Amino acid sequence: MFRALAWLRIALLANAVGLNVYRDNFDHPAAGWVSVGVMVVWTGVALVRYRRPEHRTQALLIADLGVAAAMMAVTPLIKGSWFSATIPGFWVAGALFAWGIRYGWRGGLFAGVVLAGIDLIAREHIEQKDYSLVFLMVLGGATVGYLCGSLQEMAAERDRAQRRAAAEAERTRLGRAVHDGVLQVLALVQRRGAELGGTGAELSRLAAEQEEALRALIRVQSAVDTEWPTNAATADPPTETDLASALGALAARRHAEVALPGSPVLLPTEAVGELLGAVGACLDNVARHVGEDAPAWILLEDLGDRVVVSVRDEGPGIPEERLAAAEADGRWGVSESIRGRLRDLGGQARLETGPHGTEWELELRRDPAATDDREARR
Amino acid sequence: MAASSPPAGTTPTPIRVMVVDDHPMWRDAVERDLVAAGLEVVATAATGAEAVARFPAARPQVVVLDLQIPAPNGVEVTRSVLSHDPSARVLILSASGEQEDVLEAVKAGATGYLVKSASSKDLIEAVRRVANGDSVFTPGLAGLVLGEFRRMDQAGAEPETPPGERLTERETEILKMVAKGLSYRQIAERLVLSHRTVQNHVQNTLRKLQLHNRVQLTRYAIAQGLDDGEEDEELGNQ
Repeated sequence: MFRALAWLRIALLANAVGLNVYRDNFDHPAAGWVSVGVMVVWTGVALVRYRRPEHRTQALLIADLGVAAAMMAVTPLIKGSWFSATIPGFWVAGALFAWGIRYGWRGGLFAGVVLAGIDLIAREHIEQKDYSLVFLMVLGGATVGYLCGSLQEMAAERDRAQRRAAAEAERTRLGRAVHDGVLQVLALVQRRGAELGGTGAELSRLAAEQEEALRALIRVQSAVDTEWPTNAATADPPTETDLASALGALAARRHAEVALPGSPVLLPTEAVGELLGAVGACLDNVARHVGEDAPAWILLEDLGDRVVVSVRDEGPGIPEERLAAAEADGRWGVSESIRGRLRDLGGQARLETGPHGTEWELELRRDPAATDDREARR
Repeated sequence: MAASSPPAGTTPTPIRVMVVDDHPMWRDAVERDLVAAGLEVVATAATGAEAVARFPAARPQVVVLDLQIPAPNGVEVTRSVLSHDPSARVLILSASGEQEDVLEAVKAGATGYLVKSASSKDLIEAVRRVANGDSVFTPGLAGLVLGEFRRMDQAGAEPETPPGERLTERETEILKMVAKGLSYRQIAERLVLSHRTVQNHVQNTLRKLQLHNRVQLTRYAIAQGLDDGEEDEELGNQ
């Protein structure tokens, strides 16, 4: 920022010296050329001192502004009180912008007001063009200060975000190594435990539970990683949740086998909640009518415009009479509650049952707008 | 395990197996189980580099491979051993919770996938079936493969996926059933097909996925060469 200002200072100095040489309208030429010399010398000093950040002290800035103000203040003494342009002219912008860059909009405003004040005091008559110049000076200082403040904040924010992302990536990498080791041991315990029988079998079962829980956790974490850029870009609270990782976690809790696509399946959070409720109800049904430890399988398919969750068991099927009886009693049977949940979401639940088992197919249409949005983000 | 079927004919000579795993306890456990079942363990390796180095001399029919091993990783080992001997088979035996790794290994040519918590009986049967040229699917793997084909169809891929790399309706139907935990036998009964036909359909899905992957890689290589890579997305995470 100050590097750009250095070039600006050189241009301003050339402009100021050039104008003074061209006009050559000093009442006291000797004093006039001395003050031009002061501007040249001070510009040189400023170029050197402002180069290193640790040299940009408050004293330097005050001196900078002081010289600029002094140059304006001596103008009536050298040029006579009827001057039209001050000796430094636009050269004072160097000090003005330095204040803006260093102290933000407040600094820019302060320096602008100081310089404007001196400019107005020095003149006997204030004309229209003088006023506009002064006005621009105050406004320019504040504006440059404000922009610089914002830029510095953005740069700092970007640095912080980069540091956070790097730390997060390292944590993930370390976590992955630990998770793999833990999964290996849990799998071995399961295997050996099952071979030993008795207490070993109990250990094996516990290890299996923990393995499933850990797998579910890993899934959730990788889904969070994938969602991160979208959320960061919009800065919205997450209104969409990954159905895949949620189903993975549910299946781990309920000991169902689950088949999921490799990438996250994002749906509105309420819809995910309702779908999980429906799948949970399906699994309750399996536990009640087939057996506590009866196997169940869950399949999640993302078909783009719609999402389908299938829940299957190999029980004896749901007898027609049971469905009918529940309906006749006016009971809000489990089957009806599953259908109701899907209906409320604007989807549908299909039931296929027979001697080979029962299969629920829960289908939910995606909001077309949301789908387009997702496609656009891909 | 989902698809349980007896090995189609017992081979007179024992199946030659190589076990690759960086955890000694696992390597020993798997080796012991395989030997006990009458298979021959011709080599073991603890790292990807060892596996690639020992493979040519040992000439195993089946490589039982853990994905999380010191470099090169399981996916690269799969690619490398299969390019050396396309008749070899790779069975992934993984504890990894990383689904993407499994999918990448399958794209690279692995024909079987088993989680480490599977019983030793399941493992031995899986090795036999993979050696026999069958593919060993878990419902989880079927779900992944299905998801991958769906993604290929939807992503609005340019150019569009050619029919030869897409699933037929039958294949989709069968893959869905595998993902829902039906065994090949159950699928054959429901669809009134032979067990062999179901098996062939399932194998075709893997073949197509691998073909698609190879085509994508080639396309990517060409794109990289011609216009310095504007198609990064096409490659996925290779």
